[in-house]
Amino acid sequence: MRFLDWAVVVAYLVYVIWDGIRMTKHSGDVEGYFLANRSLPWWAVGLSVMATQLSAITLVGTTGQAYSDGMRFIQFYYGLPLAMVILCITAVPFFYRAKVYTAYEYLEKRFDAKTRSLTSFFFLISRGLGVGVVIAAPSVILSIVLGWNEVTTIFVMGLSTTFYTMVGGVQAVTWTDVKQMVVIFFGLSVVLIIILSGFPADVSVSDGLHLAGASGKLTTIDTSFDLKESYTIWSGLIGGLFLFLAYFGCDQSQVQRFLTAKSVSEGRTSLLMSAFLKIPMQFLILIIGVMVFVFYQFQTPPMIFNEVEATKAAASKPADYQNLQGQYEAAHAAREQAAMEFVRVNRDGNEALIQAAKENYLKSDSEFKDSRKNATEFIKTTNENKNFNDVNYIFPTFVIANMPAGVIGLIIAAIFAAAMSSISAELNSLATATIIDFYRRHFKPEATDKHYVFAGRVATFFWGLFACVVAMYSTSLGSLIEVVNKFGSFFYGSLLGVFILAIAIPRARSRGAFFGLLFGIISVWVSSHFLDIAFLWFNVVGCFATVTAGYLISLTVREGTQN
Amino acid sequence: MHTKEKIETADVEELPDNWWYRVYLGVIITTVAVILALGAFTGHFSS
Repeated sequence: MRFLDWAVVVAYLVYVIWDGIRMTKHSGDVEGYFLANRSLPWWAVGLSVMATQLSAITLVGTTGQAYSDGMRFIQFYYGLPLAMVILCITAVPFFYRAKVYTAYEYLEKRFDAKTRSLTSFFFLISRGLGVGVVIAAPSVILSIVLGWNEVTTIFVMGLSTTFYTMVGGVQAVTWTDVKQMVVIFFGLSVVLIIILSGFPADVSVSDGLHLAGASGKLTTIDTSFDLKESYTIWSGLIGGLFLFLAYFGCDQSQVQRFLTAKSVSEGRTSLLMSAFLKIPMQFLILIIGVMVFVFYQFQTPPMIFNEVEATKAAASKPADYQNLQGQYEAAHAAREQAAMEFVRVNRDGNEALIQAAKENYLKSDSEFKDSRKNATEFIKTTNENKNFNDVNYIFPTFVIANMPAGVIGLIIAAIFAAAMSSISAELNSLATATIIDFYRRHFKPEATDKHYVFAGRVATFFWGLFACVVAMYSTSLGSLIEVVNKFGSFFYGSLLGVFILAIAIPRARSRGAFFGLLFGIISVWVSSHFLDIAFLWFNVVGCFATVTAGYLISLTVREGTQN
Repeated sequence: MHTKEKIETADVEELPDNWWYRVYLGVIITTVAVILALGAFTGHFSS
């Protein structure tokens, strides 16, 4: 990082904090602080919806995943547009016209206070732990790639976001999200242009795409029906549909976005903006990862992208490491030659020669992958780190090594922006659920607006601090990330089931909703232990179990009564 | 009074359901077209 890079990062942080703080004047009362007086335009809400979903780990992880596994991940989003349409028909008008602050508040109107409190409690626990991971994951990567202190990175990212969210409320969250999306996409566009201009003079973008296609990196539709496979068109369309229905329709961090819109129509339009833009946006992020892969056909990439782990292993067994490095460089040289030959032959258009060159390229690519796999295994055994995986380090390491001064700072700012846009929305929603669903509902129902706004600020600060502490622990306990993700999956499908009972099944009663939710969560837990299925299917299991159990239990309640 | 004004404004801004159903149909058709275009993109560069 040079002076110009530091200047860009500091300028970004100062601007965002200032921009968030100046929203204080619009957040004097409860509705202003938590819902922006339901006054925001659809495009700002729509960008905020997308910014909240796009976390830093999505940004760096997805590009790394595209580098190593291709574009298969895009199928994850194929169910999103349909989910948005369903939510526009159901959740948006229901929540908006019910004049609620939280999605869970609606459940009390429909069922009872204990169902509302239970769902809100599950939200607080899973999202509270989740926001810690949202801070931790990019902090660990940035601290390793840039040599920054991990705890400092966590607190700079966590507390600066907490500060402007606490002061400015939901208005600060939304308007900073808008600017953060601009920073992210400006940064990514600049990187893509620089990557493409870094190809050898006789290799065009089309040549690069053919090369990526030959190595299977451009797969966007996998029609195989395999429940163990994470990304197929079916897991995306069915599992993804349930996940996004639950995330955008039942998770307060997203519901609160469209509740701030000026009207039902503006709320719907904001969600449909994601329906139109999410797949192209994800395509842009993934294609950057694929282009990094093409770039490294003609430049030798690091054998291990996590420099700290590589240095540790090299110091421990230097001769073995050097040997692996030699094999790796030889494999890369052979692949580079095969890639150039494929590009040359592919341009001439002779089918027989193209097939021969493709086979030769795939053989050398496979040998190259084997040499990297050997190096990865070496790191795992030498450093006694069986969970070692450097996919998330690929993009930041590439940026640091290959981007000019100023652009590195811009990308670091974009990673900060992606993290902060998610963190701010999540802290704001945690504070809203804490105050509206618990503090105002159970402890202090008759206080002034000023008091609730103050309490909202205290709650934001508490959750910000909590998230930083969780982030510090989750960096040393790698499996915590997995635990939190699993916990989220347990929760989402079942929560969606409760809302389906509330909105779509008139015969559903509060007893059915409450015990149906518990049954759904237990069903997912049992499935995760006894069925070998990819995590997206947990959402389907949880939803069906909750709706079925909830409906059957409701039938035991006499018609005409609520409980 | 302030709240009432806001509700009235929101009511005025609402678009009819028929209009929305056409938009939803447009979203579904666009999504199918995008997925097919991605499939064609894959096919073109992978052949």
